[in-house]
Amino acid sequence: MNKRREEFSDLIVKIVFVAVVLLIWESVARANLFGSRSRLIFPTIGEIGRAFVTNLTIGYAGSSFLIYIANSLKLLIIGLLIGVVLAFVFSGLSMVSRYFYSIYNLVVSVFDLLPGVALLPVVIIIFGVTPGVIVFLVVHAVIWPMSRSVLDGFMAVPRIYVEAGLNMGLSRGRLLFGVYIPAAMSYILSGLKVGWARAWRGLLSAEMIFGLANSLGIGLYINQMRTNLKNAEMYATLIVIVLIGVVVQYGIFAPIEKCTVKKWGMSK
Amino acid sequence: MENTDNILEIKHLTKVYQDETDTGADPILADLNLKVGRKEFLSVLGPSGCGKTTMLRCIAGFETYNGEILVDGVSAAKPGTDRIMVFQDFNQIFPWQTVEKNIQYPLRLQGIKDKEQLQAVSDEYLKKVNLDGVQKKYPHQLSGGMKQRVAIARALAQKPKIILMDEPFAALDAMTRNRLQVELLNISSQEDCTFIFITHNIQEAIVLGDRIIVMSKKGEIKVDEKNGLKKPITPATPGYGEMWQRFHDALEV
Ligand SMILES: Nc1ncnc2c1ncn2[C@@H]1O[C@H](COP(=O)(O)OP(=O)(O)OP(=O)(O)O)[C@@H](O)[C@H]1O
Ligand SMILES: [Mg+2]
Repeated sequence: MNKRREEFSDLIVKIVFVAVVLLIWESVARANLFGSRSRLIFPTIGEIGRAFVTNLTIGYAGSSFLIYIANSLKLLIIGLLIGVVLAFVFSGLSMVSRYFYSIYNLVVSVFDLLPGVALLPVVIIIFGVTPGVIVFLVVHAVIWPMSRSVLDGFMAVPRIYVEAGLNMGLSRGRLLFGVYIPAAMSYILSGLKVGWARAWRGLLSAEMIFGLANSLGIGLYINQMRTNLKNAEMYATLIVIVLIGVVVQYGIFAPIEKCTVKKWGMSK
Repeated sequence: MENTDNILEIKHLTKVYQDETDTGADPILADLNLKVGRKEFLSVLGPSGCGKTTMLRCIAGFETYNGEILVDGVSAAKPGTDRIMVFQDFNQIFPWQTVEKNIQYPLRLQGIKDKEQLQAVSDEYLKKVNLDGVQKKYPHQLSGGMKQRVAIARALAQKPKIILMDEPFAALDAMTRNRLQVELLNISSQEDCTFIFITHNIQEAIVLGDRIIVMSKKGEIKVDEKNGLKKPITPATPGYGEMWQRFHDALEV
């Protein structure tokens, strides 16, 4: 009961805070504090709201903003899937062979330090100016933190679970799915979260730097709004980026945690 | 008449842990020989560090060793469902499965797919260990004693030839421990299963064991005697005091 109340007052505080920030924004916007640049830096809330609509209806170059979002998400999901599967395959192999483990450990440590965008020049030479570049960068963003977490998680699996698994007749391969993956679930999920966050940022920066005319994306859209001095539309786009992050956090990760590590009493 | 129907035969078991320093480490077990009869309940006593756990882990197939361990005359070097281990650690059942799934999972691995049959088996064994109404709970919602009961039910349900128990009750409070001893005694008299039960508690060894051995350094078996007392055994049973003293003395030296 008390906890409910706490959560409720917490929520009220947040809402009030947001309202105040919006109020300040709006008064700054109306006061024209920055002279001629004021309309670019601080479009009014009404303008940003209308920009939401024009983003969807008119968009840019004949395509609605939705097309840009869909395209970005498509590349993101392909990259995430490839990255996650590869991370599991390599981490699984590391559990089978000691040599593979030490080599892969080294590879992960090295590549984890390389920002994907820094690889862009090389990647463009390899893939040409194609969406493959973006997918590659997403894979790069997700595979190393994911592998690090999965490896750490596998190493931290209590020996007693492994022995109980062996005892009941699990073969090496089935041990991976029957014991290692569920036992390491909290590590795996935190790896997924870090991987997703990096991939999402990596995707946007790659799209902005290297905006492909033939591959519409959110990053490209922001750039085009900027060059066309449509700053209200740009702000509307930023809000969408945040919203997608929120949806992924609360619509995907939170439910997964709730029906795995939380339910199992394993969350750290 | 000697009972010659042995289910387990340990011949010349020698175990050396290969540690990093490799200074030609001393064997933990040196030429251990032991036969365990079918349906026997063997209690194992011994001072800390004498190699009881090591012996059990060798039997379970978790360790490499020299010598031979035969179950029904067949070499048992790798882990198998004919020998199921119950550890001391409360956290040996899988936290990601409900209580009943913990029991059903190994059965599914053995090829039992029928849902009703699985349900029936898990219910039956949970009842045997006096756990009812926790089927759908997750292990983190159980007490230590309840977790050990689930572990025992999971072991029994797999119908192993031998159940290996390494101080399963050591971390429990005295009352829960006594209750579990009684339950285990009942279960062992009903099941067609051999038990090897390690304990530090002489009373526990006497109450449960059909036969009690005392191990000393390097796995030497110092005392090996049949438990002639009439069950159920309490400290008031005639002969209990002398027997307790004998094992106590054997452990002292
Ligand atoms: N994995 C290991 N590596 C190296 N030495 C080990 C290992 N496990 C046990 N030992 C050593 O083997 C000896 C016997 O250990 P073991 O665990 O079998 O004893 P125990 O009789 O079960 O003792 P306790 O009653 O305290 O459980 C000890 O000296 C211990 O240090
Ligand atoms: Mg021990």
